[in-house]
Amino acid sequence: MSRLLVVDDEANIRLLYSEELTDEGYAVETAGNIAEAVEKLGQQSFDLAVLDIKLKNESGIELLQKIVKERHDMPVILCSAFSCYKDDFSAWLADSYVVKSGDLTELKEEIKRVLTKKSQRRAAGL
Amino acid sequence: MEIAAITEWECCWDRDSIVMGDCPNIGEGDEDLLSSRSRRILEKCCECEKFKRDMVRFRDSGHPLAPVFSILHADYRRQKTQIQSLANFLDTKTLEVRFLHELGSVLQSSVDLDEVLSVALTAITAGKGFGMNRAFLLLADKERHILKGHLAIGPRSAEEAGQTWQEIESGDQDLQGLSQLFLKDKLTAERNKFHDILERLIVPLDDEQHVIARALEERKPILVTDAFHRQDLDIDFARLLGVDTFLVLPLIARNRRVGAIIADNFITHRTITEQDMRSIETFTFPVAFAIERASLYERVQEEVDKLRQANLRLQEQQEQLVRMEKMALVGRITSSIAHSIRNPLMVIGGFARSILKNTPDSDPKRTFIESIVTEARQLEEVLGEILTYSDALFPTCDFWDPNQLVESSLRDVQERAVAQDYTCRFHAGEQLPEVYIDFKQTTYCIRNILLSTIDGLQNGVIDISTRVEGDHVNVQIVDRNRTLSEDELEALLTPFTETCEMGSGLNMALSRSMLDKQNIPLMVVAPPEGGVTYTIKLPTRKEATP
Repeated sequence: MSRLLVVDDEANIRLLYSEELTDEGYAVETAGNIAEAVEKLGQQSFDLAVLDIKLKNESGIELLQKIVKERHDMPVILCSAFSCYKDDFSAWLADSYVVKSGDLTELKEEIKRVLTKKSQRRAAGL
Repeated sequence: MEIAAITEWECCWDRDSIVMGDCPNIGEGDEDLLSSRSRRILEKCCECEKFKRDMVRFRDSGHPLAPVFSILHADYRRQKTQIQSLANFLDTKTLEVRFLHELGSVLQSSVDLDEVLSVALTAITAGKGFGMNRAFLLLADKERHILKGHLAIGPRSAEEAGQTWQEIESGDQDLQGLSQLFLKDKLTAERNKFHDILERLIVPLDDEQHVIARALEERKPILVTDAFHRQDLDIDFARLLGVDTFLVLPLIARNRRVGAIIADNFITHRTITEQDMRSIETFTFPVAFAIERASLYERVQEEVDKLRQANLRLQEQQEQLVRMEKMALVGRITSSIAHSIRNPLMVIGGFARSILKNTPDSDPKRTFIESIVTEARQLEEVLGEILTYSDALFPTCDFWDPNQLVESSLRDVQERAVAQDYTCRFHAGEQLPEVYIDFKQTTYCIRNILLSTIDGLQNGVIDISTRVEGDHVNVQIVDRNRTLSEDELEALLTPFTETCEMGSGLNMALSRSMLDKQNIPLMVVAPPEGGVTYTIKLPTRKEATP
């Protein structure tokens, strides 16, 4: 079972993601801010992280950079209400970018695609 | 020596007073001389034939004073002639000074170059002025270091001369009147009349051998004679003027070479005297200054106009800046509101979907939950459009391949087109230049047009083509399956209106607004016989605006 870390400052959104992604067969952990996320990343290993970009006064991009630097084998999907971040160079570090929607189909498909790609890379020894 | 006594004189000089008819030299207006003997003798008798015969008789009489008297009489007549000559000279000079004063007043009061030139050339050619037949004005082109024919005045044939001079004589105009008449009615005609000569009247300023350049260098007029056989004059130049004698007058203001005037007597062939040359020379100084001043004034006016234009542009840019600031504020507010709404909306829609998944089809509440899902999705779509609109306020332009742009838009609608059995035929123009656009926004606009075209119809064909037209590449989308009325066409491009044919929403209006911001026109033509043609003119240059 793949382990996912969902980081979002909105409790209801964390709950929604948690419910939906658990239904899809993932083990989901959530964090409401960067400190909590860093703490969980230090304690457990995850196969993928779903990050919101606007985290109250913090930036998900900052967390993304930290993950890429320290856990470069863990893919990250950015999930934001701001479509404009798609054109932001700093967001290009992420493996995928999804605009938030009540319909989680796109997010679920992206998670599956990114995890498959990860396993293929691992199998190829990359 | 015997002196013959003369008792009777032929002339009336010995009488204190006379009556009208006694003296053949006294007529109407000379009545006061009838009773004034001394004045009559000095003014009339000395020149009278009868008096001369009396003097001969007096000399022959042997009187010792007769030779003395003859000497005095002869000297008196010589001095009188001399005084008369001086008086005539003085009269001429007075007229000349008056003429120059009049000319000076007109020249000093005008800053209009054409008016100054009209006065100058009229003064040279008018009978009341210097009375030359023709005058050519050459002005200095300082950038090209040449003198070039600018304006000419005068007749080109004897017939024309007779006609013009007769007109002037019958008009009885003063110099100012004549020059005003010339400026108003004849300036353009004269310029055209002498166009062939003026175009070829070119003198390099640094050609020291050329008589005109020399006149400017020496700062004095030159009377050119025997023009066809001179070393310092190109024979073609003499042939161009068609005269062998002409006067070259340099026009110099301060130390600047303003131009030169060539004056001749092409029709009458009257000799140009040294006196003519000196008189006209006096006149060239104020003319040169007036031309220089008028030229400077023209240049100042041009600069003032440029400044005014720059001011206008600055004002427009300021207004645009204010508009952009307002738009940026509107954009920020819109974006902020949209994002604040999006998160709760996502939660509502997301949980409604979760509940829906676990609700059996038989559950009566399922319809309500489905409604929540549908409405939340619609609200998300509207939010998406609003956010796209706020993004569209600031396009980021660059050079792109127009065919790549269309292909990208077509890829976006491919799935939908296939689902509705629609065929999109792309006729890509060859060797098209790149276009200066915001790729993302323009793709969005083309995609919107294609989606609006497909929307609600099945089994159709859309033709898309790209081709160059001047500084633009036209993207044309032809939909032959639809017919729009005038009202429907207007509604199509107005935000938040609904047409039964084309659906609702911001899409088309937003597309036009996006293109407007990039100065790209979107033209929609929907003839009554059917079909809709959309044309987008994409600029190939940064500054190319239609």
